[in-house]
Amino acid sequence: MEDATVEEAEVSGAAEFAPALVAAHPLGHSVAVAVGSELRVFDLKDGSAVSLSDDSGGGSHSDAIRALSFSMNGLLFASAGDDKLVKVWKTDSWCCIQTITSEKRVSAVAISNDGLYVTFADKFGVIWLVNVGQSDGGQGSTDNKPVPIFGHYCSIITSMKFSPDGRFIATADRDFKIRVTLFPKNPLRGAHEIQSFCLGHTEFVSCIAFTCLSQGPSFLLSGGGDSTVRLWDYINGCILDTCQIQDKVGELLEPNETEDSNLAIADICPTNDGSLVAVAIQSLNGVMLLACDFIAKKLSFIKVCLFG
Amino acid sequence: MTRGDGTNGGGGGQQQQQQGARKLPRKRFYRARAHSNPLSDSHFPIPISPDEVDLSQHYPRYFPAGEDEGRDGDAMAPRIRFADVGCGFGGLLVGLSTLFPDTLMIGMELRDKVTEYVKERILALRASNLGKYDNISIVRTNSMKYIPNYFRKAQLSKMFFLFPDPHFKEKNHRRRVISMTLLDEYAYVMEVGGIIYTITDVEELGEWMRSCLEKHPLFEAIPEEEIKEDPVVKLLSTATEEGQKVARNGGQTFQAIFRRISLQEE
Repeated sequence: MEDATVEEAEVSGAAEFAPALVAAHPLGHSVAVAVGSELRVFDLKDGSAVSLSDDSGGGSHSDAIRALSFSMNGLLFASAGDDKLVKVWKTDSWCCIQTITSEKRVSAVAISNDGLYVTFADKFGVIWLVNVGQSDGGQGSTDNKPVPIFGHYCSIITSMKFSPDGRFIATADRDFKIRVTLFPKNPLRGAHEIQSFCLGHTEFVSCIAFTCLSQGPSFLLSGGGDSTVRLWDYINGCILDTCQIQDKVGELLEPNETEDSNLAIADICPTNDGSLVAVAIQSLNGVMLLACDFIAKKLSFIKVCLFG
Repeated sequence: MTRGDGTNGGGGGQQQQQQGARKLPRKRFYRARAHSNPLSDSHFPIPISPDEVDLSQHYPRYFPAGEDEGRDGDAMAPRIRFADVGCGFGGLLVGLSTLFPDTLMIGMELRDKVTEYVKERILALRASNLGKYDNISIVRTNSMKYIPNYFRKAQLSKMFFLFPDPHFKEKNHRRRVISMTLLDEYAYVMEVGGIIYTITDVEELGEWMRSCLEKHPLFEAIPEEEIKEDPVVKLLSTATEEGQKVARNGGQTFQAIFRRISLQEE
């Protein structure tokens, strides 16, 4: 089942409400939704809500959840946010196996492709790495403290993803930058070697996602506050294509809604086969679909699906 | 996409005709505090990427404005190779300019008035020394946040950090310009074999900088014999206002000079 994951940035009124977040299991087993501090999971195979349990000795999130992420194979799931907790869940039982405490609020979270590590970003732009606990129910393992592995100096990290081959970790920030860093075999020593910077956004970068053809080339997608979705050759830090969203949604919104800030990209999600990209746009009560052409290295507009 | 102001570096064509009429700027007219808050988002234009850096503004003799717009992206065009981070009043750049007359160098400085002073200084030097000092320039920017915006991967062969702010309090240590985090970025913009030069008169800061460089996997210490042979090293303590002040007061300086290496695979 295709995973058209969409983050609906429904910021109503005051900017204090955390946007609701959605994440879909990579194999389509379930969907996780975070509304404020509440995490809800729906099992798509059974068609029923899942009740979560916690073995890690911690309670449920007590403040706004800011980031959700499934691991590449779907076995693990991570949630993190303003309560300074990162919770790691096994998705077969939906039991929280580990709760990690961060010194600062967390803005992004990711799980390495091999399921061994969880990375999370704090509000100072530091990326921390922690071993995912052994399945002996390891509570409070003393050697499981997070270590800082790199950082975006004084920037807020908005999105963090591992490349499909696991060699790289990409991080995007509010200062318009995307950094692609080599993820070493022994990451506890730090990730110091930068592969590239993907620079071109003229506003904050809100979301990034890797997209690839199976056994084929992979590229990086990004969306930002400048109302563009961009396609990158992340190995060399080169821009391949830029899609201006304004032109496509202009006529669909009320005149007062078309100020630049209302057309920020809220989230992007490519399909598993890489052919399509779903784009969530602030103020748009719907989803935009783009096609991604790996040969021509271009993005093209397909349609906008409106809700209701 | 920069909103560059035309006074960057040295475009003033009409002034070059009045030989010697351009006087060196007087520091008293450019009063500045020693500190500037690197964490505040000041409003100066930042290039979106290194392709946006307008080299014709900085080095008009090398990149005449209007001639072939595409030149900046030209692979054969000369590139900036030395960066003086926190260049202050420009003493090091002036000293390096004649030592490496064919190398483009840039100073990066956060303080507005100091940057203006250095711009004027460079223009005056160019006017009274025809053919010289065309290879140095300055840009007002926060190099702790925007280094990758100015330089491509492996572009620089030398980076300088002279007498940086010590930020004595432990809670402010993360504002130091040399740190593990920032060394990742400096390593990125430096070529393998490039050299990073640091100097300070504050012993604790000297130990801190040396320790960061030793711990960082992409830098290794340069042996003493090699340091002795490097003509640049002497300038670290003599070329700048800060260095001269330290010498006048008979203070000690602490250097850490390291080479950018490639990562050893294990």
